[in-house]
Amino acid sequence: MSSKNIMILAAPLLLILLSVQTTFSQESASCLACHSAMKGKLKTSIGAFIELNVNSEKFQNSVHGALACTECHMRFTDNPHTSPGASVSPAVLSLSSKISAKYHIDPVAAAACIKCHPEIYEKVLDSVHGRNITEKHQTDGPLCLDCHGSPHYIVPVKDPDSRVSRGHEVETCGRCHGDKKIIEKYKLQENVMNSFEESFHGRKLLLGHTKVPVCSSCHRAHDVKSKDDASSPVFGKNRLQTCGKCHKGANEKFIPAITHRPPGPIPHYTEKALILLVLGVFAFIVSHVLLEAFSDIRDAIFRKGRED
Amino acid sequence: MSQTNTETEQGIPQEIERFNIIFRIQHIVMFTTFLLLSFTGWGLKYADAPGGVSTVWIRVWGGAETAGIIHRVAGVTMLLDFIWHVIYLGYLLATNRMTINLKTTIIPLPKDVFDVIKNFMYFFGLSKEKARFGKYSYAQKFDYWAVFWGMFIIGFSGFALAFPMLVSYIIPQFATGWIWQLLSIMHSDEALLAIVFILFWHFYNEHLKPENFPMNWLWITGRISTEKLKHHHPLEYELLFPEETKKNKKG
Repeated sequence: MSSKNIMILAAPLLLILLSVQTTFSQESASCLACHSAMKGKLKTSIGAFIELNVNSEKFQNSVHGALACTECHMRFTDNPHTSPGASVSPAVLSLSSKISAKYHIDPVAAAACIKCHPEIYEKVLDSVHGRNITEKHQTDGPLCLDCHGSPHYIVPVKDPDSRVSRGHEVETCGRCHGDKKIIEKYKLQENVMNSFEESFHGRKLLLGHTKVPVCSSCHRAHDVKSKDDASSPVFGKNRLQTCGKCHKGANEKFIPAITHRPPGPIPHYTEKALILLVLGVFAFIVSHVLLEAFSDIRDAIFRKGRED
Repeated sequence: MSQTNTETEQGIPQEIERFNIIFRIQHIVMFTTFLLLSFTGWGLKYADAPGGVSTVWIRVWGGAETAGIIHRVAGVTMLLDFIWHVIYLGYLLATNRMTINLKTTIIPLPKDVFDVIKNFMYFFGLSKEKARFGKYSYAQKFDYWAVFWGMFIIGFSGFALAFPMLVSYIIPQFATGWIWQLLSIMHSDEALLAIVFILFWHFYNEHLKPENFPMNWLWITGRISTEKLKHHHPLEYELLFPEETKKNKKG
């Protein structure tokens, strides 16, 4: 099946290649000549899928639109790229082997981000997310692309369409932190997404408040740490500083106000009691109002003139 | 206050003053801030309402930041209004301008419970007599004391939520783990109760009831006609005009 697919794709590919004046440059344009027209996915021998299509317009509007494809896809120097084998700098190469558990197709390209973003990449590798991949060799901890989306279409954080913008960040984190399987596998704090949405921060975010915090405002983004890690901004007294970024003078009695923990027994049973009270009062006033109205109607029709 | 004593031929005034100007102003401040608080608070309570309606609704109030300011200002104003009312009552009592009489007091009495039972029996046709009220019926007492309940539960929790840093200093250490969640639950749940209460109880009794529709104008004029007084507050009427009552009984 996979070889058939390649054959179907190969025929129009060759046609396009012939029609385009290939200038042997490694500019994006020549790669996009094919990849903007190609559709579908390729299945590799190890069962991974390669998305063939690159939307050239979206790519050019992305923050990386000016880069040549080979800046990241470093192994592909030849066109068509049947046997990638160009030399890669040792730094990128060693990183690519570290993260190969996660990226079967082109770990070099996934590691290439470090060329331009070395500090951020180092932070990610040292974070609880990065260590899950480099040390535990897991595939679900996020690296660059899991949060920022396809490398071809990354837009600035300020862009509302960005996956890590204020409007989308919570949703992006929630893809894993709201996923039961992942929560169970890594024994993550449960219910973090719901507790955020129910908090004053989450509600105000929904209502379009422009200053309320999102996940990374408190937990940091690239250098996110486990809440049990003493270097985490939400660990113990570190919260004094973290909350203090917005709430000047945050003290130890103030910081427990926001937590992902479920309500303790006192708020829980108080809420139950208050709900009972609401229902009780509601039952009384509604029945009283309705009965009184009915009795007034009854009096008006059947008991005319009984009272002066 | 000359109108108060406009006397009819029988020697009783056509209407009497029930609420002086200060009570009327306190009521106006109370309901204005109540409406502002309900409108802005509802959007926050149901922020995740389907279709983003709450986001649109909050935009009507100038966006989340502005709505938050409106809510806080209205809340503080309402609390001050309440404190003013309590101090004013204290002043009236201390100077003997107001005295406590079982037939005119707003303090709940055992009689109110019996009145509720009596009225329910009347509603079901089990009794031919409606309850006879003094200056304040149990419905009015309920209305009045509900505000006190709301002020203690919603008002104080709201103050703590609006000024958490200030309030955090007086929170005992053992309570820090649960008090904030408790405060927001109290504020939110009891606010819902207050809105439901006003919508059904107060709106029915003071607006929709046939004798009051479209509203009981007393909130502006402060006056009640003696005719209405006789009908709805017979015990107060008898207290105010004992001569008239005797005459009627004889006649």
